[in-house]
Amino acid sequence: MSGRPARSGPPEGGPTPAIASDRRRVSSWFETGFGARLYPYLLVLPAFIIVVGVVIYPVLSGIWYAFHDVTLRTLNRGTISFVGLRNFERAFADPVFAQAAWNTVAWVVLNVVAQLSLGLSLALLLNRPRRGIGAFRAGILIPWVIPSVVAVLTWRWMYEPTVGIANELLLRVGLIAEYRPWLGDTATSLLAVTVESVWKGTPFVMLLLLAALQMVPRSVIEAAEMDGASGWRKLWHVILPQIRVAFAIAAVLTFILTVNNFNAIWLMTEGGPLHSSEILFTLAYRYGFQRFDLGLASAIATLLFVGLVIATTLYLFLIHEREKD
Amino acid sequence: MGVARTSRPVWLPTRRTLRTVVVYLALWVAFVWAVFPFYWMVVTSIRPSAEVFQRPPSLVPSGITFQHYVELLVGGEFWRFALNSVVLTLAVTVASVVVSVTAGYAMARYRFRGSVALPLVMLYGQMFPPVLLLIPFYIQLRTFGWLDSLWGLVPVYMSYMLPLCVWLMRGFFAQVPMSLEDAARLDGCTRWQAFWRVILPMALPGIVAVATWVMIHTWNEYLYASTFIMSQENRTLPLSLSALIGQYMTDWGMLMAGGVITALPIVLVFFLLQKSLVSGIGGGAVKG
Repeated sequence: MSGRPARSGPPEGGPTPAIASDRRRVSSWFETGFGARLYPYLLVLPAFIIVVGVVIYPVLSGIWYAFHDVTLRTLNRGTISFVGLRNFERAFADPVFAQAAWNTVAWVVLNVVAQLSLGLSLALLLNRPRRGIGAFRAGILIPWVIPSVVAVLTWRWMYEPTVGIANELLLRVGLIAEYRPWLGDTATSLLAVTVESVWKGTPFVMLLLLAALQMVPRSVIEAAEMDGASGWRKLWHVILPQIRVAFAIAAVLTFILTVNNFNAIWLMTEGGPLHSSEILFTLAYRYGFQRFDLGLASAIATLLFVGLVIATTLYLFLIHEREKD
Repeated sequence: MGVARTSRPVWLPTRRTLRTVVVYLALWVAFVWAVFPFYWMVVTSIRPSAEVFQRPPSLVPSGITFQHYVELLVGGEFWRFALNSVVLTLAVTVASVVVSVTAGYAMARYRFRGSVALPLVMLYGQMFPPVLLLIPFYIQLRTFGWLDSLWGLVPVYMSYMLPLCVWLMRGFFAQVPMSLEDAARLDGCTRWQAFWRVILPMALPGIVAVATWVMIHTWNEYLYASTFIMSQENRTLPLSLSALIGQYMTDWGMLMAGGVITALPIVLVFFLLQKSLVSGIGGGAVKG
């Protein structure tokens, strides 16, 4: 549509004398020639400028800060100096960093595995039309709908060590003998937060997989049934391969959302007690906005970012490779 | 169901009924698991204060009272926080939708330099961890003197909304048949008129879905707000909730009442727009 010679359009001089409607003339300037070529760029321009200003520039300067000595004092004096890899060295030398890195891995693996397996089971359960399925689906979506802060604070209340309902229910079922401070115990804090995060995140995974399941052609399943495949074999050999791409997307999204899940940890334990539920995100936040060592925080954030990009790219690459077979 | 068909005794369930029972059992477990915390929040917010801290806690409230809501809303500053949230949400939603509508349309409709790369940039833009953006934002806002200001949060939130908005819009516009636009242009519309009068109304469900998505996320956002807002008068609702957590004592009844009020608009919007939202997330994001 932009193949015509640029000069065939109306002259690029000032507005032509307005006889009919001015607006019509202005917008017809974009119909041919140079104006037509410019038109899509003009439509994209505002979004492009804003994304450069509020995403790309900050990301680049975040990485830049990771190699500089940035604290409130140096910011005020305007004496930010280049320190090479010192921020990274300081991070690696910190024993809390190792613990937070290990916690991040555990946190991500637990969340992704639990959310994907539960989400898939729920999607399979809700896929067939059954009596009352609408009500079940609406109820199961509730955790996804509730604002994250509200959900986290509600769970914090349920975990309350002296009058919390979680303790009471577990006691009644016979799983524990006495009330326990789930969030205040170094052995259980990360797990307790994980339970909340799985509760909150599973419905979204379920939605993504359910949408994919509903697009599996009926004929494929019927053909498998004719061939005598049933139950697990049908699921494994027929249904799962059909929703492979959606599953991969759900896995990557869950991964990204979990690494970036700050609210659950910060509002329940603040990474404590004794850093037992500290992940790299909360650690960077602590360094940045409690100690105001912004250079060190940027170094950790940069590492986290690089890890995210590598893991996502690797995973998508593997999926892509398998597609080819 | 199917019992009479077989020759086995009637009281013995067939495989099929057994299966149905297991499926419904699983559905009920999932349902109770998903809904219980919500139930517990509502119940805590409407039971008398003394009963909130009763040990052992009882599953069903003995009486219903709205004292927590009254305490929260009468004389308190909760109104102010709600107003802050409403203003901020409207500003971010309008700005994001206006900017992403034209960009998404152009990316779906036209071939131009960058028309392939830009959508991917947008998608990757969504991947940047907020913690990496947090520090540069802090420093920038500090330099501009926009720390502790609701308006300062608008560009910050757009960094987190706009890339995905553009991506989703592009998906919706790609689904609108472009022959419609050509027909309108043959009838004498200019490009802009064809877009404004023909294509935009067709894409309206998608636009509503994106706008709702932005609203929900802005309304719920906590990390940026808690980092950049310091003074009490500029708090948004999520901030005011977390501020109700006391160092030694927390009034959980009041906090849960605040939670119900914060969640209410989102839950209502969601159930009103359930269909278009779900298909929007599924269709727009997955199919691209």
